[in-house]
Parts: sequence; structure tokens; C-alpha cells
Amino acid sequence: MTNHLQKEVKRETGEGTDLWRVILAPTIWAVHFLVCYVGAAIYCEKAGRMADLLPVRLIVGTATFIALAGLAAVFISLWKVRGLSSVNDDYNYAGNTPEERHRFLSHVALMLCVLSGVAILYAAFPALVLEVCR
Amino acid sequence: MHDTKPEITISFGPCLPIAAMGLLLSGCVGRQSALAPAGHDAEQISNLFWVMTAGASIIWALVLGTALAATLGLFKNPTRLTPNILIVGGGVVFPTVILGILLIFGLRLLPNWQSEPDRLQIHVHGEQWWWRVVYRAPDQIEPVISANEIHLPAGQAVEFVLTSADVIHSFWIPSIGGKLDMIPGRTTRLLLEATRPGVYRGVCAEYCGTSHAKMAFAVVVHEPKDFNAWLEDRTSDPNIGTDDPGRKIFLSSGCAACHRIRGLTEIGSVGPDLSHIGSRRTIGAGIAENTPKNLARWITDPAHMKPAVQMPAYRALPPEDIAAIARFLSNLN
Ligand code: HEC
Ligand SMILES: [Cu+2]
Repeated sequence: MTNHLQKEVKRETGEGTDLWRVILAPTIWAVHFLVCYVGAAIYCEKAGRMADLLPVRLIVGTATFIALAGLAAVFISLWKVRGLSSVNDDYNYAGNTPEERHRFLSHVALMLCVLSGVAILYAAFPALVLEVCR
Repeated sequence: MHDTKPEITISFGPCLPIAAMGLLLSGCVGRQSALAPAGHDAEQISNLFWVMTAGASIIWALVLGTALAATLGLFKNPTRLTPNILIVGGGVVFPTVILGILLIFGLRLLPNWQSEPDRLQIHVHGEQWWWRVVYRAPDQIEPVISANEIHLPAGQAVEFVLTSADVIHSFWIPSIGGKLDMIPGRTTRLLLEATRPGVYRGVCAEYCGTSHAKMAFAVVVHEPKDFNAWLEDRTSDPNIGTDDPGRKIFLSSGCAACHRIRGLTEIGSVGPDLSHIGSRRTIGAGIAENTPKNLARWITDPAHMKPAVQMPAYRALPPEDIAAIARFLSNLN
């Protein structure tokens, strides 16, 4: 066991609890969501029930593009941590070392990244279909 | 204990699903079923239901099959990758794709509100525990006021303009389409197209107080020309027997403070319009058949038929008077 733990630490995937990185992807999701929904609400309130949704669709499209680009950057940086730790016993976090915490949180962040990507796409779908404010 | 009555335990088993099926299927026919569609939207909903039921059954079988296979050890020589493929494929990719398809499919079912042609509008105002109904046809100067019964032309899209007086109600005619909330302070709009003439039943689908379960209405779908004739007829006064004794008692008992009868008394608006009440199928918002006897029961003590109702009881009136009012109302059409 001791042996095994030492081996883990030697992999040097980095350290730190890095909570910011964990919430980065969900934050991008939240901001995208707000931009889309608040944007549409304000626009439609001002423009009226029968107004063409095109400006909103453009906003949603742009926001989605930026958000997905941001997520891709986060994803790549997290994937690197994973690459460094891609050996057997990857999911062994029993040692409670800073290195393991870092690896674990990066893994969590990576999963959240995927979830946020799916959520952003789903939130953007209606912009493909809806044509007027109503 | 365990081996004294084994047969009983076993013999009940097969009956339960059959009984349950019977109960379930009995809901699939008749005047108030989303699975016996008589409208464009209801058809879509019913199709969606069957597609999703089939899809869900397949997924259920797959998941349980996999679990069973794993339990029985049918996966021979799993590699390190097998669980990863199952988790990422079955847990992430598969649901994401399926839900994405369902989302787009659902969004495409949204009604097309883009064009706004002149069409029949029916304003329905939910109130504890009944419905105000006002018809506004494009070529009609004066709106037609009614209550607790809705008439529709088959094959024509009708726009329902929904509002509420007090709490959130929900307007739902299962046989014809989906439901939509009626929210105080807001106007919601629903586009429905009935396809099959007949008599259906609508309900309030959002708990709205004591008599929520007694807040329903009859829906009559006509052929378009019959509908136009019906609407035309409603733009004129009902036949009111001038020497009907019930008419005098109706006026002297204060009913007119709350009820309007076209051509007789037009001040009351607290309760349902009674102009053509004689022609309605039900009374009390769909809770009883419209017969003179039920009308008399209602007037004597409406709270007996509908708890917490917002109409006073008239137990103090002599039964003959009540019967006379009931007869008078039955003839209004
Ligand atoms: C204080 C106002 C008020 C008075 C007075 C009143 N009603 Fe009502 N009435 C109502 C309300 C409110 C309803 C709807 C109740 C419900 O269904 O929840 C109603 C419902 C009815 C209905 C059923 C209508 C339908 O569409 O099914 C009839 C019939 C009726 N009243 C007759 C009378 C008669 C006859 C009198 C006089 C003897 C009378 N009402 C006096 C308020 C009143
Ligand atoms: Cu209600």
C-alpha cells in the first residue's frame, strides 16, 4: 500500500484543490443560459408578441459559439491532467494526498464540462426552431 | 405461516395485472381521453405517447437485460474497456442523443403562431369553480356570452384566450388537445382544432380549491355550418315566456343580481350567464345533468352539490317557487 501510494505521487500531475476549475464549466453554462433567456425576454418584451426572433437567434448562436469555445479550452486543459494520470489505478483515490485530490477534482471538472456542453446545446436548440416571439 | 396458504398468494398474482389493465383501458375510450383523440393536437399527443411508450419499453428491456446478463455472468472475458464503453456509451452518449431527438421532436410540435389570420376566438375565464365563455368571431359585432359549455366547429383552428379571476386554473379538453394554465394577471393562448364532431368533456387540470374536482364543462363539436347556425342563434335573445310564473320569481328572488339573462336582465355578472341555460347539457360546471329536477336541487342548496360554492342557498323559498324557476330556466333557449 505504501509502495503504491508513493508511485502515485511520483506521477506529478500537479497539485492544489483547484475549486475554481471545477466550477468554471458550470459557470459558462449559467452565463450562457442567462444571456439566452434574459436576452430573449428583454427583446420580446420590447419588440412585441409578433416580432421576428432573428436577432435573438443570432445572439443565442454567438453566445453558444463562445461558450462552446470556452468549454473546449477548459476541456483540453483538464484532459491533460487526465493524460498525465492515465495509468492503471487511475481511480484509486484512497491515499488522500494533494496529488490525488487534484486528479480527482480534475476528473469531476471534466465530467461537469461534458454535462455543461450538453446543457448548452439543449438550451440553444429552441433558437433553431422558434421564429417569432410568441 | 409461509406454507399454509401458498395457493392464495399465487392465485391472486395473475389477476392483478389483468384488473389493472382493465382499469387502465377503460380510461382509453369516451368523452375525456387523450388516447381517443378528436382533435389535431390530441392526435399528436396520443402518437407521442405511443412512440414514447414503445421507446421506453425497449430501453427498459435493454437496461434490465444488461443487468440480468451481468448478474448471470453472461459477459465472457470482459476487458478493462467494457465498463467504460457501457458507462460512457449507455450513460452519456445514448441518453444525450435520445433526449436531443425528443427535444427537437417536441419543439417541432409547437403550434405555428406565425401567421395570425382572422379566426374564431373563444375567451375563457376561469373562476372558482366555473368558466366564463365569450365567443368572438371575426365577422361578428357583438360577442356571444355564455358559460360552462364550449361549442366548436370541426376542422377549424380556434384560438382560446385564457385568463383567470382568482387562482391558477388549467384549461384542458383531453380529447381535443393539450392543456394550458390560466394564470391570474396574465393571458395565455391555446390553438386547438377539433376534427371529429361529438360531445366531449373538459376539466380544470390544476388544483384550485375546495371544488376543483367539480370544475368541468361540456364540449360540443359541430360540423362548421351547424356551428355557424348555433352561433347565429346565440346572438339573439332566448325565448322568454312573458307570463311564465318562474320569470317573476327569478327576478324577485334576487337571482338577477348575479346572473344575466339576455333580453331580460343584464346587470348581474357575478355568476354564469343563464341566457340559454335550457340548451346546455350540464349545470354547475359539468357536475350534473341539466334537468328541471337537478336545477331545483341546485337552487335549493348549491353547496350540497358543490362544496364552498359562491352562490347562496335558497332553502327559504317554497319548493313550488323553486320548481317554477327551474322550469323557467329549462325553457330558456
Ligand atoms: C351572489 C351571487 C348569486 C346569486 C344571488 C345567485 N347565484 Fe346562481 N350562481 C352564482 C355563482 C357564482 C354560480 C357558479 C357556481 C359554480 O358553478 O361554481 C352560480 C350558478 C348558478 C347556476 C348554474 C349555472 C350553470 O352554468 O351551470 C344556476 C342554474 C343558478 N346559479 C341559478 C340561480 C338562481 C335561480 C338564483 C336565484 C334564486 C341564483 N342563481 C342566485 C351566483 C349567484
Ligand atoms: Cu380550476
